[in-house]
Amino acid sequence: MSARIAVLVFPGTNSEDETLRLLRDCGGNAELVHWSQASNLAQYDAYVLAGGFAYEDRIRAGAIAAHDRMMDSVIEAAGSGKLVFGICNGAQILLEAGLVPGTGSVRRPTAAFTRNAPAPHFVCRHVYLRLAIEPARCAITAALPQGAIVPAWAAHAEGRLAATPEHLREIVAGGHLAFIYANSTGAVDQAAIPNGSALGCAGLVNREGNVLAIMPHPERDAWNFNHLDRREGDDVLATSGGSALFRSFVQALAS
Amino acid sequence: MTRAVAIGLKIPDNTAFTAGVALRRLGIAVERVERSEIWFFEDEGSALIERVKANETIFNPNKHCVTVLDEAVPRSGEVWIEPLDDVTLSPSKGGGEKAAIAWRLFGPNEATLDRESLGAAVERLLCNPAIERAVY
Repeated sequence: MSARIAVLVFPGTNSEDETLRLLRDCGGNAELVHWSQASNLAQYDAYVLAGGFAYEDRIRAGAIAAHDRMMDSVIEAAGSGKLVFGICNGAQILLEAGLVPGTGSVRRPTAAFTRNAPAPHFVCRHVYLRLAIEPARCAITAALPQGAIVPAWAAHAEGRLAATPEHLREIVAGGHLAFIYANSTGAVDQAAIPNGSALGCAGLVNREGNVLAIMPHPERDAWNFNHLDRREGDDVLATSGGSALFRSFVQALAS
Repeated sequence: MTRAVAIGLKIPDNTAFTAGVALRRLGIAVERVERSEIWFFEDEGSALIERVKANETIFNPNKHCVTVLDEAVPRSGEVWIEPLDDVTLSPSKGGGEKAAIAWRLFGPNEATLDRESLGAAVERLLCNPAIERAVY
């Protein structure tokens, strides 16, 4: 029987359907698990925290959800080596829970995806992520090619990586910088960064390589119909670039 | 002289309510939470409250209440959460500068929380030290 993936739904999560659909399109055995079903979480083999606004992002983005009972199970599972993948608000939750970059202790965050800069506004923009680590450094990216470029949509007001200079140095030195913003050719320039993120960071991985948090949404650029460069005559339902990361995730569970 | 003004909600504050629930779950004996925005204004004497109330950008008479603090420091049982950088600060509005989010925590019998309990609330929930500092 294939590994079971839980797509977590907090009050205010709003990207669970496309996340679930893409996981299934990539061959994953995924199902939604709502916050009221937290006691069922231990039976799953991997966890995906979808985007949205958990608990209306009260106090700070991800702060309340990081203390939800569902996260008790996720933290325990991450500690036992299970795969955890957070996207957008899911990534913010993982940072608030201290699971990534994981340079402090649990629920004592050492970094945050916070208010965009220079303009502290919501950004909705097509972006490209470049894999900035050896693929095998993170189990979820292990099946991607070196320097893979993943298309996605950034849709957030709080996606800027911020931390103290000391913790930013730890992120670099510890190889936690999993994805950086780049242009479509993979070249890194300031114009490619939609939110002023420190280090050009789009995603972080923990030390053990089993927890990945990324801000943009690859699941929103996963079929031709929502791909930026869609051509007339394309099979609109064929999977496109953003699905590569999800395929890699599902492949990691199969191996 | 800089004067501090607390602008809070007179309608139910869902965020403060949620913070209270989360803090109790973390074992902190809080019964009620008040949240307000702290704005700094240069001294304008008795006209300050009226000027704040006339500023529709930061004050809505249907949902806000305003208090001029005796001193520009947190009150008993209160912590001010300030951003470490200025990105999250609003630009100057109506001559005032938004300085912090204030959380005031009350225990049984409306007594404000002691410093130790306040510190636990700060460390465990109210402040992310990567991006914020807590003043209390």
